[in-house]
Amino acid sequence: MKYEWRNLSADRTPLTITLLLGLALVYGGWNGWQWVSFQRATIAAALGEERERLAAVRTEIPKVEAGERKVSAFTDPRLPQALGRGPGARYVVMPPSALGALAVGQSDLYPYYFKVTTGSKQTFLNSDEIENPVHLLAGRFDLAFVLLYLFPLVILACSYNLISAEKEGGTLALALSQPIALPVLTMGKLLPRVGLVMVLAVLLPVVLVGLGGGGGAEVRLLLWVAVTVAYGSFWFALAVAVNAWGRSSPTNAMALAGLWLLFVVVIPAVLNVGVKAAYPVPSRVELIQATRVAGDAATRQGAQLLARYLEDHPEMAPAEKGGAPDFGTVQVAVSEATERAVQPVLDRFDAQVAGQQRMVDRFRFLSPAIVAQSAFNDLAGASADRYQHFLAQADEYHRQWRGYFVPRILKKVMLSAADIDELPTFRYREEELSEVAGRLGLALVGLSLPTLLVGFLGWRWLGRYPIAGA
Amino acid sequence: MKMALLIARKEFTEMLRDGRFRGAGAIVFTLLAGALLLGWQSHREVSAQHRSAQEATRAQWLKQGKKNPHSAAHYGVYAFKPQVPLTLVDPGTDPYTGVAVWLEAHKQNEFKYRPAQDATAVQRFGELTGATVLQLLVPLLVILLTFNAFSGERELGTLRQLYSLGVAGSELASGKALGVAAALGVWLAPAAILGSVAIVAASGQSEVVASGPRVAWMALSYLLYFGAFTGISLAVSAWAPSSRAALMILLGFWMGNGLVAPRVASDLAKSWRPSPSAFAFGQQMQTALAKGSDGHDPGARAKALEAELLRKYKVDRVELLPVNLLGVRLQDSENHGNEVFDQSYAALWENFAEQNRVHQVVAWAAPGLAMRSISMGFAGTDFAQHTHFAKAAEDYRRMIQRTMNDELTYRATSTGGPYLAGEELWNRVAPFTYTAPAAGWVAERQAPSLGVVGLWFVAGVVTAGWSARRMRVV
Repeated sequence: MKYEWRNLSADRTPLTITLLLGLALVYGGWNGWQWVSFQRATIAAALGEERERLAAVRTEIPKVEAGERKVSAFTDPRLPQALGRGPGARYVVMPPSALGALAVGQSDLYPYYFKVTTGSKQTFLNSDEIENPVHLLAGRFDLAFVLLYLFPLVILACSYNLISAEKEGGTLALALSQPIALPVLTMGKLLPRVGLVMVLAVLLPVVLVGLGGGGGAEVRLLLWVAVTVAYGSFWFALAVAVNAWGRSSPTNAMALAGLWLLFVVVIPAVLNVGVKAAYPVPSRVELIQATRVAGDAATRQGAQLLARYLEDHPEMAPAEKGGAPDFGTVQVAVSEATERAVQPVLDRFDAQVAGQQRMVDRFRFLSPAIVAQSAFNDLAGASADRYQHFLAQADEYHRQWRGYFVPRILKKVMLSAADIDELPTFRYREEELSEVAGRLGLALVGLSLPTLLVGFLGWRWLGRYPIAGA
Repeated sequence: MKMALLIARKEFTEMLRDGRFRGAGAIVFTLLAGALLLGWQSHREVSAQHRSAQEATRAQWLKQGKKNPHSAAHYGVYAFKPQVPLTLVDPGTDPYTGVAVWLEAHKQNEFKYRPAQDATAVQRFGELTGATVLQLLVPLLVILLTFNAFSGERELGTLRQLYSLGVAGSELASGKALGVAAALGVWLAPAAILGSVAIVAASGQSEVVASGPRVAWMALSYLLYFGAFTGISLAVSAWAPSSRAALMILLGFWMGNGLVAPRVASDLAKSWRPSPSAFAFGQQMQTALAKGSDGHDPGARAKALEAELLRKYKVDRVELLPVNLLGVRLQDSENHGNEVFDQSYAALWENFAEQNRVHQVVAWAAPGLAMRSISMGFAGTDFAQHTHFAKAAEDYRRMIQRTMNDELTYRATSTGGPYLAGEELWNRVAPFTYTAPAAGWVAERQAPSLGVVGLWFVAGVVTAGWSARRMRVV
């Protein structure tokens, strides 16, 4: 092993390749870091805007009360229906997670903040980040990309001729004439390579998260390292097995390149097509139409809806009887009715996407790359699951928000400056580790089992390796 | 030439008999055919959904009942992005741009609902589409067929024999290239026929005519691209010390070109020409809208407008105006809004265009980027054509606003009660129609990328010929 290490240091190719890997890792880490900083800055700007806006409302209310400022019923900040629809709105934000810089994942596709109002969900659940679609199509050069695509290639490039080169150089028979078994020799040759590449792949994420002051993320970081090592081990095992097959170096290279293509490019693409065919999601134009139809219907029956609504919630009925219901009160009933009517359509979309996800979860074990990708996304907080988790909280907050405003709208309460500080606030609760841990445990098993299987086959084949001859 | 054809025939026969090529070719063909069929199916479904939604939104507009024209303007209509037939070959950026935009009063909205949001993370490995197969897998097939074209002969010692027979290097190179082309043709020609049939089946009558030149441009570009890969592969095979080295170099180039370069280009473009966050973009637009283009507050702007009207119609009181002040004021605010939107969106789109120019620069080193751009362009699924549609939709929105506001201004002049209009007015707004730009429009915009692919083709041919003439024989 010591000699192998010396050999490796003398040979320029593996070193150059590892150096390139190092550079790619640093560049990927930097890109992820940029993305996280961008998100943080946007969130800070949004919260700053909210603070200023609410402060302005707080100073405006006394002026309106004193009659110093004339306002219409649409803009009177004392009216809950006006305040809750815009000027008083608060943001719900999902900050990037401690490991956010490691993988961009799906986080560039889903919103990470919403401006919650008393309007229906469909009116504010759309704050997509602006992004050049070409970039979304290409994906990002982040750490996860380097680990998923390039890291295996580096491993294969370092070890495709692990034994075959010794054989072709004629040194294999010589080495084995010493009291050493082929499997031991292979391990001795393998370990320095494994050590070098793995340390490099693991080191940078640790440094990056450490720099970000990732407090409380130690377990996640540890899991990240475990996934990286398990994924890398699979590729090393594959290289050994192909070597043990006993073909020439070029054949090994071809075979390994083919396997890489199969696992990293072909299987994911085919799986993607498969899940889309099994659970097709209709175009969202259907949702738009459904929302519109429901909205039109609700608007037409606005007054009746309100009457029915008040029957269901007599406690919310205004104190004084009589008088035509104003715009604000009807609006409440209309937006709730629209939301209710659209919900089945939304559920249908969600069910299809959930079906796709279930199928991916089941079939991801066909390719370690997919297993590793979803594990990386989970750990970096860039998965669809975390977005759903955020969405549920946003939904909950929206209910709270309405719970605050709707009774006041119906009872025609006038808000005061002091009430501004009483508006419900939002605080993002991170996914519990236990929620992620289950998925990750399965992922680690899904990575280790094929590794063990391939490793075992390699071991067996090594036993009958043709040491001499073609 | 005769010799080249002879060599081509030998190569062709040899490849057809090679089990590895048959296997690889069959896989690529199956993937391509599968991708085209699935593309066709999804195109058929989605375009039907969009068509019926477009009809529904029109019906809703017409049947919205009696309303004040400005309420109708607020109600608005939706514009749904039509699916062009060539989407089935290359969906391009379509999954990552919204499918619909709401055309309402006061506001140029963003497109909503990106289809990719309704997919799993596996999508980010890359979709299996005709374009993916053509851009990634076919070049790989070319490499596998050619990497040992010269180096293999040299290693077997047959290269020396060939030269002793008086075969010229360039003849050998063109023969090999023709052989590869013929072998590829065996798989690609049926796929191309299949694709064309699917496109014709997916097109309406007018679309077939429009698709023709686009398909021709696209096919030609792909042929040049494959030609470039063949040339490079042959050149590398001639120059490399061994078949193994040739394969390594070519696989490295393939990786860099197809998988690494698109991402690197994206990140470079993002850091060199950062685009604003949606939040900053919205805020900046809000501020501009609130301020008014002349920097005065809207109150002053409204007063100035009033004074101007009084002067124009030579009356001294608003009540005496022959026009409805509200209508004039609404149109004035639309005009101001339009200026702001024009500026904001022009700046944003220019920002994206600059980012795409970064991609074009990287494309000189990685022609795959240029090919991707050309392919999306002629498929009609690139960002330029998205904005072309967005502009058409925005023009339509402005037309609706003007029609509604004019109605208020010139017809709603009596003061008794709110003014209500009906279906007659809604009918005066013609239905929204959109014509995608012609192939020439695309070609003009894709000129730099076409240049890159063309140049790589020429370079491939020249270096292949040149290397074949000067390569080591033993």
